[in-house]
Amino acid sequence: MWNYYFLLGWRSLRRNPILTTLMILILAVGIGTSMTSLTMLLVLSGDPIPQKSERLFVPKFHIADMRGYKAGDKPDFQFTYIDTKNLLRDKRAKRQTALFGLSLTVDSGRKDLPAFSERGMATTSDIFPMFDMPFRFGSSWSADADDKASNVVVIGPELSEKLFKNENPVGKTIKIIDRDYTISGVLDVWQPTPKFYRLYGSDATSRPEQIWLPFTNAVSREFSNSGWNNCSGEGAGSGYEGWLKSECTWIQYWAELDKASDAAAYRDYLSAYVAEQKKLGRMPRPEPFQLLSLREWLEDAGVVGRDTKLSTWMAFGFLMVCLVNLVALMLAKFTARAGDIGVRRALGASRKEIFRQYLIEAGVVGLVGAILGLGLSWYGVHIISSRLAEADDFYRMDFRMLLITLLMSISAALLAGLLPTWRACQVRPAIQLKSQ
Amino acid sequence: MEIRPIFSAMMRSKTGVILIALQIALTLAILANALYVVRDRTNEANRVSGVDDANVFMIATLDRDVDGVMARQKRDEELLRAIPGVASASWTSQMPLSQSGSNTGVQTNPKQTDSVASPSVYSGTEMLIKTLKLKLLEGRDFNASEVLETDNRLPDQAKPKVAIVTKALAKKLFPNDASVLGKLFYQGRGDPPIEIIGVVDELVTPWGRASWNTDQTGDESFILPARFTQRYNIYAVRTEPGQRDNIMKEAEKVLLAAVPGRLISENNSMDQLRENRYRGEHTMANGLLIVIGLLLLMTASGIVGLASLWVNQRRKQIGIRRALGARRVDIVRYFVTENVMICVFGIVMGSGLAIALNRAMMSELELQRLPLAYLLMGAVSLLFLGVMAVLGPAWRAAQIAPAIATRSA
Repeated sequence: MWNYYFLLGWRSLRRNPILTTLMILILAVGIGTSMTSLTMLLVLSGDPIPQKSERLFVPKFHIADMRGYKAGDKPDFQFTYIDTKNLLRDKRAKRQTALFGLSLTVDSGRKDLPAFSERGMATTSDIFPMFDMPFRFGSSWSADADDKASNVVVIGPELSEKLFKNENPVGKTIKIIDRDYTISGVLDVWQPTPKFYRLYGSDATSRPEQIWLPFTNAVSREFSNSGWNNCSGEGAGSGYEGWLKSECTWIQYWAELDKASDAAAYRDYLSAYVAEQKKLGRMPRPEPFQLLSLREWLEDAGVVGRDTKLSTWMAFGFLMVCLVNLVALMLAKFTARAGDIGVRRALGASRKEIFRQYLIEAGVVGLVGAILGLGLSWYGVHIISSRLAEADDFYRMDFRMLLITLLMSISAALLAGLLPTWRACQVRPAIQLKSQ
Repeated sequence: MEIRPIFSAMMRSKTGVILIALQIALTLAILANALYVVRDRTNEANRVSGVDDANVFMIATLDRDVDGVMARQKRDEELLRAIPGVASASWTSQMPLSQSGSNTGVQTNPKQTDSVASPSVYSGTEMLIKTLKLKLLEGRDFNASEVLETDNRLPDQAKPKVAIVTKALAKKLFPNDASVLGKLFYQGRGDPPIEIIGVVDELVTPWGRASWNTDQTGDESFILPARFTQRYNIYAVRTEPGQRDNIMKEAEKVLLAAVPGRLISENNSMDQLRENRYRGEHTMANGLLIVIGLLLLMTASGIVGLASLWVNQRRKQIGIRRALGARRVDIVRYFVTENVMICVFGIVMGSGLAIALNRAMMSELELQRLPLAYLLMGAVSLLFLGVMAVLGPAWRAAQIAPAIATRSA
């Protein structure tokens, strides 16, 4: 009987073509709008590195002095150079890295390719295994290069293709600003979604930087950071040296632990560290430091923006209006078929059978609406992605969202079909047959 | 009045009435809130920058090295001013709406522990205000001798002693004073006081109103007379009306030719800066406008659909009424009154829903309180829409001939 009802539902789509088209359109538009905003929400709240997100942590210290202090203030979201140096030296996590953004110039030396600017990262060699960054050629620079502040560089795939086409450039040099850097490796295409590792000074939807060079090298060359530099207290002091010694925060710090349960031990270490720094007269605020997991870090930085949430609310409100409309339209369609129902009932169909038949018909509308809605959501997501995300196809629908669309559309149609179907069951055969 | 019989008739087909009322209620709830958000975002995206937006652009250079940069800055400015059609040019540390720049906490008392405001700091030459064409409300502009040349790589640099503030910052710093000229404020604990020598009407910060912080209204800024020694230099340029696009290309050529190994890292008109800054706001507003349009269309078609259904169901009754002497206009009035009653019912429900939705979003998303004007606007437009939508079916109902009463079924 299920198959037959399904076929009936399918055939009934052609009955009242205007009404049916309207029903499907309304459902599809509602589903398309909701899925577009839901996709944004789900992509932004996704786990960028599921295999180790449990084990990646960001410490946050209260660097600012007591000026303007209010109880419950959040700690600073970036690190000072002093703390970065201390924590990197202590090496108390399995791996640790610090990073800050750079705005660099690359001089290819080629006549056909004038010098151009490129975004870079100053970081340590630990970052590559830490974030499971894939290499196309070569590998990271050595820990020794970290210590010696060598002129070595890992470049991204886009830069590699721009400069060297498809050949392996490992061992060659590129000129960054005014010095030659030896390429130790070329990254493969890698787009963490959201781009979690540098949420301040860069957007969560942006493409990864194309130049990665040793933190120590950037500092020895007195590169200033491209991004946020928050100086509280006495300010930056004079010169680069003064900046390094100051309480300005401009570095982002990451720690990878062996297992999530090591967090307690790491917390103990940090708390001892803070106590020690307090003795030196730093970190005067009474609030405790924080150790955020990757998930907490994303939440804390507000990766899922207020507008994304707002549009999701609005879109689902819109879907509700679509549903009410759908109820009215189905009611009109089913009411028009009271005659049919009367005949079926008179011939012995139970109310349950009628209920099943009409609910399946509603489900068929949901199915067709889902297909159209899927197209609309795909288009909507595409438009949003091209307008609001820097990385290509940053927002996209995956299999999970396909499934959600299908489920949402069919259940919406079934929900909307409940009242009309129930009303259809109430048709009394005798009255219908008499009035014919 | 015919309200009672209409009401009794409505009670006989409750489902339809409730569906339409519910739809109107939900529509109003979303419409009022969406209109408010659209209005808020468009207002922000169109905010006055204080700058002569139509004729100003920024061009930023990145030099290979920093040595001799002061002399180059001055020469670059001369080169830019020499381009025919350029009205004014100045080095600046940051540009309005460019999404890159610095903020600093300021106090009105050196011993104060709280920052009174966290304005944006522009540093520039004595030509900056003229170049951006800011409106100087009181006081004076900088003179050339006040402009400091600072090299942050070196210790013990001179600190600026005078500043020009925006009206909004003046109000924030000294809320009770009629004039702030001659008043002092402090940037850091060790820094010397800075005297306010002028007030400009508007100068938007590089970010405008910060979406992550509704306290940052985006209009609190001050300007210091200073140039920095750095590889990356921004020039603000104002052109004669209508010549900006050509001059932007020309300026790029001139600056590139001036220094070997130099890069032009940015060349953007104020309009482009504004567009980039407010892309998110525009997308949000446009998305919501589409939703609003679809909502109204859907509600209208829902009303048309159900009203038509009712007209068809009541053909006979209408015929009888007409036969008993009702005029066409009475029939139209019947349907319009009926619809207005349903709409009002929906609007009352919807007002409650709209406020509830707004409260929920206020606590979840830190949205602002919905001004009642938007609710009123939504209600009036829905009522209008309702009447317009029912006119068609009502007019068709009025065409039913009285003779139909005499026919069976």
